[in-house]
Amino acid sequence: MIVKLHLKKEIHVPVDAESISPDVFAGKLVEEIAELPLWKGNRKVPLKDVFGVEGISGKVTNELVIHIDGNLSKVQRIGSGMTDGEIRIAGDVGMHLGVEMKGGKITVEGNVGSWLGSSMKGGTIEVNKDAGDYIGAPYRGSTEGMRGGTITIHGNAGTEAGRYMKKGLIRIDGDVDQFVGIHLKKGAILVRGNADGRAGAFMTGGKIIICGHLKSLLPTFTIDSMKSKAKVEEEIIKEPFYLFIGDLAEHGSGKLYLAKNKNKHLETHEKLLQ
Amino acid sequence: MTLVKNVTCPICGTLCDDLEVEVEENSIVDVRNACAIGEAKFLNFTDPKHRNLKPLVRKGGELTEVSLDEAVERSAQILAHAQYPILYGWSCTSCQAIRVGIELAEEVGGVIDNTSTVCHGPSILSIQSVGIPTCTLGQVRHRADLVVYWASDPYSAHPRHIERYTSFSDGRFQESEWEHYVTRLRGVLGKKRLSRASARISMREVSIPPIADPKLPPEFETEKRKLIVVDVRKTRSAEIADFFIQVEPNRDFELLQALRLLVKDEELEVDKVAGVPVDLLEEFADILISCNFGIFFFGVGLTMSSGKHRNIDAAIALTKDLNYRTKFAIMPMRGHFNVAGANIVSTWQTGYPFAVDFSHGYPRYNPGETSAVDILQRDESDASLIIASDPVSNFPRNAAQNLVKNPMITIDPVVSPTTMMADVVIPSAFVGIEVEGTAYRMDCVPLPMKKIVEPPKICLPDEEILRRILLQVRQIRQTGGKA
Repeated sequence: MIVKLHLKKEIHVPVDAESISPDVFAGKLVEEIAELPLWKGNRKVPLKDVFGVEGISGKVTNELVIHIDGNLSKVQRIGSGMTDGEIRIAGDVGMHLGVEMKGGKITVEGNVGSWLGSSMKGGTIEVNKDAGDYIGAPYRGSTEGMRGGTITIHGNAGTEAGRYMKKGLIRIDGDVDQFVGIHLKKGAILVRGNADGRAGAFMTGGKIIICGHLKSLLPTFTIDSMKSKAKVEEEIIKEPFYLFIGDLAEHGSGKLYLAKNKNKHLETHEKLLQ
Repeated sequence: MTLVKNVTCPICGTLCDDLEVEVEENSIVDVRNACAIGEAKFLNFTDPKHRNLKPLVRKGGELTEVSLDEAVERSAQILAHAQYPILYGWSCTSCQAIRVGIELAEEVGGVIDNTSTVCHGPSILSIQSVGIPTCTLGQVRHRADLVVYWASDPYSAHPRHIERYTSFSDGRFQESEWEHYVTRLRGVLGKKRLSRASARISMREVSIPPIADPKLPPEFETEKRKLIVVDVRKTRSAEIADFFIQVEPNRDFELLQALRLLVKDEELEVDKVAGVPVDLLEEFADILISCNFGIFFFGVGLTMSSGKHRNIDAAIALTKDLNYRTKFAIMPMRGHFNVAGANIVSTWQTGYPFAVDFSHGYPRYNPGETSAVDILQRDESDASLIIASDPVSNFPRNAAQNLVKNPMITIDPVVSPTTMMADVVIPSAFVGIEVEGTAYRMDCVPLPMKKIVEPPKICLPDEEILRRILLQVRQIRQTGGKA
């Protein structure tokens, strides 16, 4: 059961597309889907004004696949709170993709805006290019971070990935900006590329693994030991790592694994182990 | 000639309210007690070269003089038909005008954002996530025996701040240290002159003395009021301070976090943090702990350098940690005279202090998404109303480009790059000189602004102009967009 949406023409003002979700589409005819409300700037418009709709909808959420075409970089909140089913996005997409998602799958071929999978509880998100800031992070003022599920970014990521994360996994194949794993409580973040610095600031628990170069280590981390490998769920990364514990300013006991071969500037810490 | 006393100065967030202004035939002839910036405003605000005195509307690419009614009508048409307008500025006007502005933003379904989005917005985000242990400036004046200016240069930006509220003020329990500072300043200036003169005579290059103080001066052992400056360069404030700590640019977060550890009596595993030796940091931590009442004043150097709101998180967390050992408070050095008021009015009207989005009919808030600069950088807005600010000069280049390519209304008493690029220009009166109103000081204390002289007839108060636009917008909406 595939419902295909395509953007009719380039949009200027932001579009809030909370209603594009398998949970909302399930049990509706294509004609009914075309009438679903969207916010285009400060105007409420039917979905058909922005998107062309075709395909066959299903009765049950888990059978439903939504395929979206076009430059969606100004379309926000797609898949908000979804529990099952699948969304496939062929191009770029805007902010708040899969916020508070509980299950199902989202795949994006292009880039994604900020607040990807914000406060998500379950499900899978896969992005083939870059993601913006605040991956899995809660909204301003909230401390309810990611509580489950998996986010995989094949490109680079912005600042504060995994803020206040409590459970789940974030995998970033490329580089990551500052403050990765800030306020991390539990769960794991794996960065295969380099990190810009301040990794694990204010963290109290959980695990951050950085396989590339970390620009600077916070002074509030202490060296614990050397490890020959690091483990994330089923995956084992076999190379020497420094294991740091922090953030001591928060009396934290979070684990920060930093690849030994890429972080020569941390060699001075080795003598503290002897 | 009449003398108006207790005038509040409409320049910076210090909001000095002890100015005396002499008025002769509706014109200001003298100002007393003001700093150089305040005095310049009071004595030069009528300069016709810099003043907007005609309502203008862009017709055929040229700004053309029109009647005030036509300018208001055109503004209402732009706002009523916009799908995502931005209403930006607000920090140099009265709370009364801001209140009407929020009503207008709700009516047109727009985003209302004030200039704190480009100055102390990160401080607000941080205060919302960790809280703030603060106090009023009166308490600082009377009780603070340790004053730390972090990444802020009050000597240049808030010239009377030190004199009225901190080291040079004569508090009930703390004496002024101005004589001591003046002696030191003379010494510093004398040394500079001497080194320049000797270099000229001997034809050699001036040797640069070490910038950061290598160790604590002996007066730290005495009981007197102390002033410490932490900054990336030796500012004028740093020159008069008892002690100056030079931090590497963009490394304040590391320094603050390291201090937090030291305040908790824990040890650091490194020799230097952000260019500051750990031994010196330990002494600094001791000074922080051993004061009776300390205060951090932080400026835009902390909010707008790398780390942004996380720097403030760390600074507030340090203040919190210090409160286990002594009494400590923290306060942002707000810039414009009513930027704190813009946050306060916005908070009591909408629940959020800045970047409030009314496009869905109810207030939503998510800086990064609903803040003016971000909206403009993503090129999402289709019209704007700019009041009492100059974003064309201050915003990032592509944000300013996206701002001017859509219809833009400006309400401003002065000519600025923004008014020159606008489609509608409405001249207004100066709040605090030609119009009365309320403004909030940096410690969130409301103060009345006085009307001293009559404005030119065409220059209405911001509040009145906004009310007229609001009325027109409502009429357009009632008639289904055909007014």
